[in-house]
Formats: sequence, structure tokens, C-alpha cells
Amino acid sequence: MNLLSTRVIVPLLILFGLAYLANSISGLEGGRSLAFSLLTGAAFGIVLQRSRFCFLCNFRDLVEQRDPKGVIAILVALAAGVVFYHIVMMAWVPVPILGRLPPNAHIGPVGPVLGLAAFVFGLGMAMSGSCLSAHIYRLGEGSPVSPFALGGAAIGFLIGFMTWNPLYLASVANSPSVWLPHSIGYPATIALSLGVCAFLAVIALKLASARHTAQSDFIDLASAMKAVFVERWPPITVGILVALISAFAFLRIAPLGVTAELGSIVRTAGTAAAVIPDTLLGLDTLRGCATIIKNTVFSPNGLFVLGMVLASFAAAFGAGQFQPKRPTLRDVIRGSMGGILMGWGAMTGLGCTVGVLLSGVHAGALSGWVFLVFCSFGAWVGLFAMRRFSIAR
Amino acid sequence: MKRFYKAFIFVSGLLLAATAQASEPLVTAEWLQDNLKNSSVRVIEVSVDTGVYERGHIPGSGNLNWHVDLVDPVRRDIATREKFQEKLQSLGIDKDTTIVLYGDNNNWFAAWGAWVFDVYGLGDQVKLLDGGRKLWEAKGLPLETNTSEFKVTKLELPERDNKLRARFTDVLAVAEGKNDHHLIDIRSKDEFSGKVFAPEGVKELSLRAGHIPSAVNVPWGTIVKEDGTFKSPDEIKAIYAAKGIDGSKPVITYCRIGERSSHTWFALKRILGYDVKNYDGSWTEYGNAVGVPITNVSGTVWTGK
Repeated sequence: MNLLSTRVIVPLLILFGLAYLANSISGLEGGRSLAFSLLTGAAFGIVLQRSRFCFLCNFRDLVEQRDPKGVIAILVALAAGVVFYHIVMMAWVPVPILGRLPPNAHIGPVGPVLGLAAFVFGLGMAMSGSCLSAHIYRLGEGSPVSPFALGGAAIGFLIGFMTWNPLYLASVANSPSVWLPHSIGYPATIALSLGVCAFLAVIALKLASARHTAQSDFIDLASAMKAVFVERWPPITVGILVALISAFAFLRIAPLGVTAELGSIVRTAGTAAAVIPDTLLGLDTLRGCATIIKNTVFSPNGLFVLGMVLASFAAAFGAGQFQPKRPTLRDVIRGSMGGILMGWGAMTGLGCTVGVLLSGVHAGALSGWVFLVFCSFGAWVGLFAMRRFSIAR
Repeated sequence: MKRFYKAFIFVSGLLLAATAQASEPLVTAEWLQDNLKNSSVRVIEVSVDTGVYERGHIPGSGNLNWHVDLVDPVRRDIATREKFQEKLQSLGIDKDTTIVLYGDNNNWFAAWGAWVFDVYGLGDQVKLLDGGRKLWEAKGLPLETNTSEFKVTKLELPERDNKLRARFTDVLAVAEGKNDHHLIDIRSKDEFSGKVFAPEGVKELSLRAGHIPSAVNVPWGTIVKEDGTFKSPDEIKAIYAAKGIDGSKPVITYCRIGERSSHTWFALKRILGYDVKNYDGSWTEYGNAVGVPITNVSGTVWTGK
């Protein structure tokens, strides 16, 4: 069996396996949601891997390389998702009066704790080289850093649970959960969100350097196969795909998020080991990537993450981008330290760049925008520090 | 003539379908499917999980959010007459509407809804979809995400009928032997015996374990089949008769917060036609009261080891 056929057969086997698993669990009680979550995760994993959709890397490409493509993909994902989400929300909550919120939408509390959490998350991304969702898909690429980043994130979550109660009493309890449609209505929320995305896109494009690669208009089977299975997908396509997955997930199951399962496992273990306080004040009443004490093996978010990792592995393997490396000491330290910061930020901020930023902005939550600002600031400071002390890459 | 004949058959078919189960407390999924377009039938979902209705409900159904629409959000009480009336008007419910309730979690909250409807005088118009949302989904029957718009009615509700509701003093009188009622505790065996304060995964909100003296324990699940539908009236009758509940005396049902016990209340009142009150204060009120008699077989003591 030559190399090329392995690159076709292995991904196909994995995708068949995922389809078989989805079909098997769909018969369980509540299984239709579980199967849908698994397949949504698989789709998300493929899109992320094929486009290198990582909040930190895209941001770094712009800041360090003056390459705006990744940031444009994020901004298109934000803008298109706002429109798709509103199509759903305006059906579910036709009149956005106070006291009514779209079910489960990630509309988190806005206050100093969210800003701090997002900033720390940004620092952690810069240190570990990826955001949490990207570490999940990079597991499928055989990244030497990601296992340590995810392990670190688990420790960060544990620390987050331990510091939650004082932060809640000092600040979060009084932080309002601001849903923009409550304040300015649906049309203005859409217009404002699109306007901000357009403004940021203009800035990103202004920063772009003149260097660009010429692309041929010619298309045939070989070039199309290469474009789909090997090359990085174009930013606008990716942005729209991410927005679609986000909106369909919201319509069918719950807003996208990647940390709920990790957080739940840590919370369950930490509670059993009695290192987490018995009562986490107000935590279960807030909206975001909800962590719960686990009493079932399968959860929608767990299967979502499983689908992400397996499908991203399939996509990476097919593209010849599955390149496992032996981790160096630097990988271990960078990954774990960055992971701890990201885990603390994601627990304290009730989600990460996917759960709070993407799903929040889509839903018209002010918390999403606040996370965007402080997380970017944290990432910028982190990247600067990493360069300054020449510990980058 | 042919057209007239067809119309006649259609209308009488509808009337027959609507009246066939008009006096019955339960409707089957098949009946409901045939009556989805029947304008005199209004289907309402009462689910405990948020987002369940929005992500797919029985076509044409409305939604009652029990946290907001069925209870007073500030006082521990059922919704005020004004608020409930306004909500029902907006759902297009009138004096002659057949109301079919269904929900997730084995219809617990739909049954609680049926009790609130009964308290406000609409009991005879209300039916439960037997098996609730779980059976509808298991059968793979259609769901939709459209939000239905209803023509607002001028429905006027009477004042609450407090005869359907047992209050703390009523129950205490039974416990002290001053009031000759049957008490049914529908919680699990371990909650009843006092081994645990609350079922697994639920906060322990009462300071004492056990049950109200003289209560008999018939867990709610004993009267339903595997698929969540109610057992036959004869079977249900026999189950309660074996515990000494035969309808000869008025009955009071209770659980932890009054929702699950609505399910049993529905079976006794609507299926068997007994004289039944629901005690919505339930164990979280009684088990926290000072100086009341309690039966605690297991002897579990709060924080005691």
C-alpha cells in the first residue's frame, strides 16, 4: 500500500467510524442530540484543521507577518454568525423585552472579572501558541504542545473553581448580563455588529503587507482536490462555514463551546476529591459553557470534542499534515503554563474564544465583545513578551 | 351535492374526533396527530428544560414556561389570576378550547400545569398527552421550530378554587389526626424512609428527613408503563387500593416541591375521579417546619454522623 492510498483510506475509515458511532448512539435516550453533537464536532474539526482556524495564530499572522487572511476569516465568521443567529433568535424571542432571553444563548455577566479572565486567556494563548479550540484540533495533527496545553487547562480549571467564590462575591454577582437586543433592539444589534466587524476588517486589511501569492483561475480535478484536501481553505469560505456550524448548533442543541466537558470532568473529579468548594456560588445560574457534575458517560459537549479531534486527525492525515513530534522540554513548559492560564481564564470567564467570543458575539451578548477586546490585548502583550524574552516558537 | 356531502363527512369526522376523547383525561399521540389542525384544540408544551420547546415542538403548539408563567416569580405561590389569564388569552385559549398539555421529564410539569389550570376552573378542558414528549419523540413524530401566532381571546378566569390545593395547616391536621384524609407521598422509597434528604443530583433543601405521619408511599413511577404512558385505570385503582386508598376518603398528594405529585394528583383526580388535593408546599415546606411531627424510619439526622 503506497503512501497516497494510506492517506485516503485512513481518513475514510475514521469518517466511517464516526458515522457508525453517530448511528449507534442515535438510538439511545436523547441519542439524536448526542449523534448530532458528534457530527457537528466532526464538521467543526474538519473546518478548523483545513483552514488553520486558530484565534491566536490568525492574530499572530496579522501582528507579526502582516498577513490578514486568518483575521478576515474570524471577522467573516463573527459577522455571518450574527446574521444567522438573529434569524433563529428573532423567531424564538420575537419581541426582545426585558426578562426574556433566547434559550441557552451565551449571554454572560460583564464586569472586571470577565475582562481579567479574557486577558489571562489571551496571555495563555500567546504562551502556548494556540487557543483552546485550536489545541483540540491540533491533537489530531500530532502537535507536541497540545496535550500539555490541555492538561494545563485542566489544572487551570481546577484553580478557577477554587478562586471562583471570592471573585463571585466581590464582583460577578453584581455584573449585569447585557444582551444588546434588550438595549437597542435587533436591527441595531445586527447593524452595530456588522459595522464593528467591517471596521476591524478594514484595519486588518490596511495593515496587510503588499506581499501576496498569485492564484490561478484555472481549475481541474487535480487542482480542486488539492484545494479541498491539502491547501488551506480561503478565509471567506471558512468564516461562513464556522458561522453556519455555530448557528445550526444553536438551533439544534446549544451554542458552540469546547470547554464544558473538560470543565465538567475537572469539577466532578475536584468535587469528589474535596478540593473544590461544595457550593460554587451562582455558577450554575450563569450563562456560558456550563460545567456540571457528571453522572453520564456521554454528553453532547464530550461527543462534540471527540468528533473534533477524530475528524481533525482524518483531515490532517489526508492532507499529509499529521506530523507527530517528540515534545521538547520547551514544548512541555510552554504548553502547560499557557494551558493553566487559559484554563483559569476559560473557567472564570465562563468559556473561551469559541464559547464566549464566537457564540457570545453571535447572540448579541456584550460579554462576547468584551472578551474579544481583552483577549486580543492579552494575546498582544503575551506575544510581545515572548518575543522580548526570545522564547517564542 | 357531492362537495356538500364531503364537507359534511369532514365536519362530522372532526366533531367525532374532538368529542371522542372530550371527556377523557388523556389523549394518545395518534389522536393528537389527527387533531393538530383542529381549531378547537390547543396544544401547549410545559417542559422543565429551557430551549426544549424552541428547538422543536409539536406542530402548532404554544409554550408555557413554568418558571415564569405558572408560578409567581417572587412569592412561593402559583401564578396570579391576572397573569395566568393574560398568558392564556395570548395563547388563544377560550372557554370551549380543548387544551392538551405535554412536556419533557415524564409530563411532570405538564401535570403540574394541569393542576394550575384546574385551580383556575379550566380542569375539565385540560388533557394530558399520554407519554408526553418522550413518547412523541420515540415514535419519531414530527416536530417544528416555527413560533405559532394565536388570536388573542377574551377568556376570563374565575378566582382560584382553593379546594384543590392543600396548605400546610391542612396537612398538619392530618398528621396530628385531626383531619381524616389519606396522604400519599409519591417520592422514592429512600426519601420516604428518611435515608436521604433529596434524590441524587438535587439539592438537599429540607432540614429533616422522613415523611409526614400517616402518609403511604406510592412512588409516582409505579402507575406508569415502561414507555411513560399511564397504566390502565383498573391497574392504577388496584395499586392504590393495595395501599388502602380507595377513594372513600379525600386524598392529599405531596412530593418534594409539588411537581411530581401533580402527576399522581392527575391520575387520582382525572383518571379515577377521586377527591384529591395537591400539597404544593410538599416536603420542602413540611420538612423545614418547626415543631411538627415527622416519621423518620431511617433516623437520619441533619449533619449528624
